Amino acid sequence: MEILIQQLFNGLTIGSVYALVALGLTLVYGILHIPNFAHGALYMMGGYITLTMMTKFGLHYWIAIFVSIILVGLIGVLMERFVFHPLREAPPIHDKIAAIGILLFLEAFAQFYWGAEYQSMPTPYGQVVQIMGLTFTMQRILIVVAALVVMLLLYLFLKKTFMGATIIAMSQNREGANLVGVNTNKVAMLTFMISGGLAAIASSLSSPINLVFPGMGQLVILKAFVIIILGGMGSIPGAIVGGYILGFSESLGATYISNDYKDIIAFILLVIILTVKPTGLFSKGGQH
Amino acid sequence: MKRMKSLLMMCFIFIIIFSLAACNSTEKKTAGTKPAGDGGDSKTGIVNIGYTGPLSGAAAFYGERTLNGIKMAADEINGAGGFEVGGKKYKLNIVSLDDKYLPNEAGANAKRLVQENKTPIIFTPHSGGVFALQVFNQQDNFLIGAYTSEPKVSEVGNDLTVRIPPRYDGYLKPFTDYEMKKFGKKIAFLPTSSQYGKDWADQLKKYWEKEGGKVVYNSSIDFAKETDFFTSVTNALKEKPDVLFIGGASEPTAKVAKQARELGFKGGFIVMDQAKFDEMKAVTGSYDLLNGSIGVMPLIDSTNSPAIPDFVKKYNDKYGENPGSEAGLNYIGMYIFVEAMKAAGSVDDAVKIQAHMQDGVSNIADNVRIYQFTKFSGGGFDGELEVAAIEDGKVVPIKVEK
Repeated sequence: MEILIQQLFNGLTIGSVYALVALGLTLVYGILHIPNFAHGALYMMGGYITLTMMTKFGLHYWIAIFVSIILVGLIGVLMERFVFHPLREAPPIHDKIAAIGILLFLEAFAQFYWGAEYQSMPTPYGQVVQIMGLTFTMQRILIVVAALVVMLLLYLFLKKTFMGATIIAMSQNREGANLVGVNTNKVAMLTFMISGGLAAIASSLSSPINLVFPGMGQLVILKAFVIIILGGMGSIPGAIVGGYILGFSESLGATYISNDYKDIIAFILLVIILTVKPTGLFSKGGQH
Repeated sequence: MKRMKSLLMMCFIFIIIFSLAACNSTEKKTAGTKPAGDGGDSKTGIVNIGYTGPLSGAAAFYGERTLNGIKMAADEINGAGGFEVGGKKYKLNIVSLDDKYLPNEAGANAKRLVQENKTPIIFTPHSGGVFALQVFNQQDNFLIGAYTSEPKVSEVGNDLTVRIPPRYDGYLKPFTDYEMKKFGKKIAFLPTSSQYGKDWADQLKKYWEKEGGKVVYNSSIDFAKETDFFTSVTNALKEKPDVLFIGGASEPTAKVAKQARELGFKGGFIVMDQAKFDEMKAVTGSYDLLNGSIGVMPLIDSTNSPAIPDFVKKYNDKYGENPGSEAGLNYIGMYIFVEAMKAAGSVDDAVKIQAHMQDGVSNIADNVRIYQFTKFSGGGFDGELEVAAIEDGKVVPIKVEK
């Protein structure tokens, strides 16, 4: 029983990180229909910027995360302006190639600038908490809580503010939104900003339990794609639910089936869900 | 107009990308060891030494450290005026190529090095690369400087393979003896999921069971795929092992150890030879967390040779970090190869150079002898195994009986 609860908690931790990354990915897909392969690189940049702010400039963890959100958000905006915006009339394959190009560029840049070695991010929340034989660390509890808070804020932003409504409008129908006077350029930039910010939050929260290195984006990006396909491309609740499903299936699969095959379990789950519901869990019919 | 503008923008971006990419590759290729006084001096010959290893991707830091050791030795030899073979002076030029840790890329790189640069020796720091090179090195007449402790590379009957580090199977007995005596007979396996990690685990399993121990959990962690190790570690610990076998690159290995302690593990660790205690300490903060671990002796803590402090200082001045055995062993390896070339009287005949490896081991100067190699036997350098344990937050040398 203890093992089960412990593993549920482990799954919740990892699922929170997955969900945050997948949210950024699904937002951009929903608005611009671009599978942003470079999203993993944004995640990696977030980790490095937070780390640099903490070690080089001595900033507090939270302030460093804030700086990182802004900077990675700006990288996202630049990506949109310089790469995806000029390509908006091009065939869709060009977006994909460009996204892979950005991914390679940012990874090479990180290796050039920060070096190839693993770096470890300190955290003020390293304490171990033992409750009834279960082990939590403050950092892990922080990941779970912070992810929930971020999701709630995002929800409120999208549903209750005018700017959020423009994003939803554009994801529902780009031309329609344009017709009623939504500035699609502004919305696209805003979406990339939020997407980058979410990636920065996810990596800044998860880095203290892992390490910071140029290839760290690849840890999550493939899984994030699985999640948004599973949840329905472009669907926000789909990304959240998908993230937790994958997190739990990994931790429980590793415990009760096999540690070596836990990735396969996640993919089998994907196959089953797509067989039953080929458009993903939450996609709305006729949306695209 | 708008099309023009976007076209211009694209051009601009591509120019930046290409120029950056170009900077990068030229820097890697020349590797900063071009001998002084280029070409014009007909009395000084140049020996190209090949290197293929991971210089980008997840293992890039590892590739760079191994390459640094080779480069440092080459720079020193060139700085001292080169070396003399058969009455002619030679200088070294390191030609390095990136193989992204992939055996197939290593093979392609080696072909290129032999054809374009006529390299008599090619270093490669992974067992997969060594196996790929062994397919054709005897036909193409080049030596493999194999930086891997995998015993199999020396057992396939490839005479032109020189294994630089000691074989890992030598560690099985001292590691097992120490941990069994101190902690108990139940062990859980959680090393890296590379081929190397799995081979290590197989060997250790055999030996551990032969000594009457029991493997209660046998799995591995893919450091390139897992964001969090808590799940795997929780599962390994639910079998209540006395000892945990961990390993892989130092930093993620240290994270596994740290998370095991967080989850309440009180036993000992057997640390695979790929991970180094001093690098693990950079992640855990102190050695206290690793109390009861056994692994290889970190180079900077070794007292086995008077040449070490000097080497550590030189390396630190040059690369701004403490050297590990990746740099140290490749450094001494390069020196041994040069001495072997001198003794063989040839800089291009791989068979002759190989036949004089023993002379190479015997002849290197004392101030570069950072490892006490005495013999060249069984396709590799033979010396005392340096094993260390962590006790009360300190690195303690462990004696190994032969």
